[in-house]
Amino acid sequence: MNIQFSWKHGLIALAVAAAIGCNGGDSTATTPTVENKGTEATPAAAGRKAPTAEGNKVEGDVIKVGIVGSLTGDQKPWGEDSVEGAKMAVEELNAAGGINGKKVELITGDSTSKAEGAKTAAEKLISDGVIGIIGEVASGHTIQIAKSAFDKGVPVVAIGATKTDLTQEGTHVSRVCYIDDFQGPVMAKFAYEELGLRKVALMTDNKQPYSQYLSKTFGDKFKALGGTIVKEAFYESGQTQFSGQITELKAETPDGLFLSGYFTEVGPIAQQVRQAGLKDVKLMGGDGWDSPQLLTSGGDAILGSFFCNHYNNKEDRPAVKTFLDAYKKGHAGKEPGTTMAALGYDATKLMLEALKKAKSLDSKSLIEAINETENFAGVSGTITLKGFNGNPPKRALVVEVRPQSEGFQVFRKAYEADEIK
Amino acid sequence: MTVLPDLLAGLEFSTLPQQLVNGILLGAIYALIALGYTMVYGVLKLINFAHGEVFMLGAYTALFTSWSFGFTQAGSRQDSSPGILIAMLIVSMTVCGFVGVLIERFAYRPMRSQPRIASLITAIGISLLLQYGGQLFLPSSPPPSISDKVNPFKGNIEIPLKPADSALLAQAEQLKAKVTSTKAAYDEQLKSEKDSFNLSPVGKGLRTASQDAERDYRNAIDKANKDALVITLPQGQVIMLVTTVVLMIILTWLVMKTTAGRAMRAASLDFDAASLMGINVNTVIAFTFFIGSALAGAGAMMNASFLGGTKIDTFFGMLPGVKAFVAAVLGGIGNIPGAVLGGILMGLAETMVIWAGYGNYKDAIAFIVLIVVLLVKPGGLLGSNKVEKV
Repeated sequence: MNIQFSWKHGLIALAVAAAIGCNGGDSTATTPTVENKGTEATPAAAGRKAPTAEGNKVEGDVIKVGIVGSLTGDQKPWGEDSVEGAKMAVEELNAAGGINGKKVELITGDSTSKAEGAKTAAEKLISDGVIGIIGEVASGHTIQIAKSAFDKGVPVVAIGATKTDLTQEGTHVSRVCYIDDFQGPVMAKFAYEELGLRKVALMTDNKQPYSQYLSKTFGDKFKALGGTIVKEAFYESGQTQFSGQITELKAETPDGLFLSGYFTEVGPIAQQVRQAGLKDVKLMGGDGWDSPQLLTSGGDAILGSFFCNHYNNKEDRPAVKTFLDAYKKGHAGKEPGTTMAALGYDATKLMLEALKKAKSLDSKSLIEAINETENFAGVSGTITLKGFNGNPPKRALVVEVRPQSEGFQVFRKAYEADEIK
Repeated sequence: MTVLPDLLAGLEFSTLPQQLVNGILLGAIYALIALGYTMVYGVLKLINFAHGEVFMLGAYTALFTSWSFGFTQAGSRQDSSPGILIAMLIVSMTVCGFVGVLIERFAYRPMRSQPRIASLITAIGISLLLQYGGQLFLPSSPPPSISDKVNPFKGNIEIPLKPADSALLAQAEQLKAKVTSTKAAYDEQLKSEKDSFNLSPVGKGLRTASQDAERDYRNAIDKANKDALVITLPQGQVIMLVTTVVLMIILTWLVMKTTAGRAMRAASLDFDAASLMGINVNTVIAFTFFIGSALAGAGAMMNASFLGGTKIDTFFGMLPGVKAFVAAVLGGIGNIPGAVLGGILMGLAETMVIWAGYGNYKDAIAFIVLIVVLLVKPGGLLGSNKVEKV
């Protein structure tokens, strides 16, 4: 099930061996292994492999499209929002008559907030005959989906997976969000110029490839600007006690702390950082912070911190307003809690628009059509994939964490795609 | 021989006292859980693998109790008091105590006449049942956490071991005037700016000046503090430690001074002889499970409420349970002071690994300790060296 589980097996083996007093000496204790440990990200190479498999074809009158989301587990807020956004896009299309008279059916798969779960869900969707897959939000999960889809020749449009080398999995992978090569430097620039920080410490979740790479891109840019990275401390998803790491960071007297992990651990870290007496240290992070749950787990400690996001409900653009009005209609007047509803909507709509333009209704033509996308007007901004190897140039927003009464995330500054580098 | 200096090169000795304190605070919780393992083993010679899950249920009980006081996710209630914490502690201990008794009554007692391995397998079964079955009716996705408003003790106790350099400190204070003046100038400018993150060139200049002054001041303070040694103790964790010690004193009194405790010790010495002497062993065992589980409940409540934002899911007790088990083995399973010693040593071992810069291996240390203990001193530090044939 997860890492602790294998420990327990090992432990049971040991305990049984000890309790029975067996002298065999060959107890099969498993050593703890860190699953899904990301390898050092390779710089984006130009050539992407095209999948050779045929992929799925549309049979009958229904076009099947799949979405993988974390519907249970830690990342449930993202999974639910992304699926809601995708449903909206499909409903709108079906209401407008579908594609060539065929209706689109959205099939959901639950990744259970785990990389293995994402892989299983993607394989299930492909065997169910989906023509393309939307998802996931987490990079570690999306990589697994991309690998499975490559073998079967099915396109993947990632929702919030920002890890830079993700699209190197093949020409079948593209995304609707910015990449960590952009997000990390944006926060570094914001920290250096706007917040005036010079000595920043990093805290990295060693179980998440997303976090490892984001820490790296942030650190590289921050050092290039003239700042110092005084220390990098590591933890693992699921950890609850961080006093050891925080003591080590505190000794370096940083003026800022970049927490590149997900909101699930960032909240407790923030509280424990403040408890350890680091009252004035600015906390910053990436789009992994984007969930109102951050406020419950982070309490007052997280208020006034900054993170990077894809779009904001309060943005003054017609596309945002239209989307929010439509979303509220279907959700009893409530706005989406995270950005992932808008990104899920964009990813789905992008795939459906490409499907309209595809030469024929099969995975192979769909991959081509997706990669030809130009100036697609999404809620989160204009998306062009043609000539960008699946990584659309997008703007990033820096938002401040405020109490729920002020709307949780308040827009502070926008960075356009060409402002960095 | 060149390895040792290399290993030592990365060590920061100034953080050592703080890390030792962190280790003891962490170890106290392990010790509380380890007591449950060791007491049950002492009486029944059974390793109660479901003990970690009792710990998990204790955390959930504390969560539900806090909700019933109004500290829900929506955060409607803002004020807390020690009385609420004590109520949460008592509810958690009581519920866990009864859960422990129930587990013993329905899972272990029917197996008591069977070979011991059968009970061990049952224990693992109960553990898995609670972990996965719990997901059906306990909120675990996304994992909830007890509101940080529950804990009214948010401050720190600071123990200065070595003062800061007063000459440097005085120098730093001289810089403070500039911080105030530049900050005032920037604040004045902000009034005429539309957006503090898209400043005019004048505003940017003033902001840079203010930030530079503040940085100079902070750097000077940091320099003065460089050799100072201050141990920071979060109040909540100190209360945790004190409560743990009090509970252990009560336990010692229970075991050493009361009739029930004497019966417990007799049963652990010789189960059959004790029953022949008129001791109701079923009651003794139920009592043992109640006490052990209640201690786990106390540990869980404190862990979930005092460490801000701690996530609770049905696997909450797994890692602490495993580590506490190792602590019990380390101290000598069946030996009550041994469990406390083992727990503290486990907490220290873990923080020492982080201190030495090997934070990635902090969970692995438990198993390294376990293997070493089993190889070198299977009876544990305070246990007998008699080989147990089960």
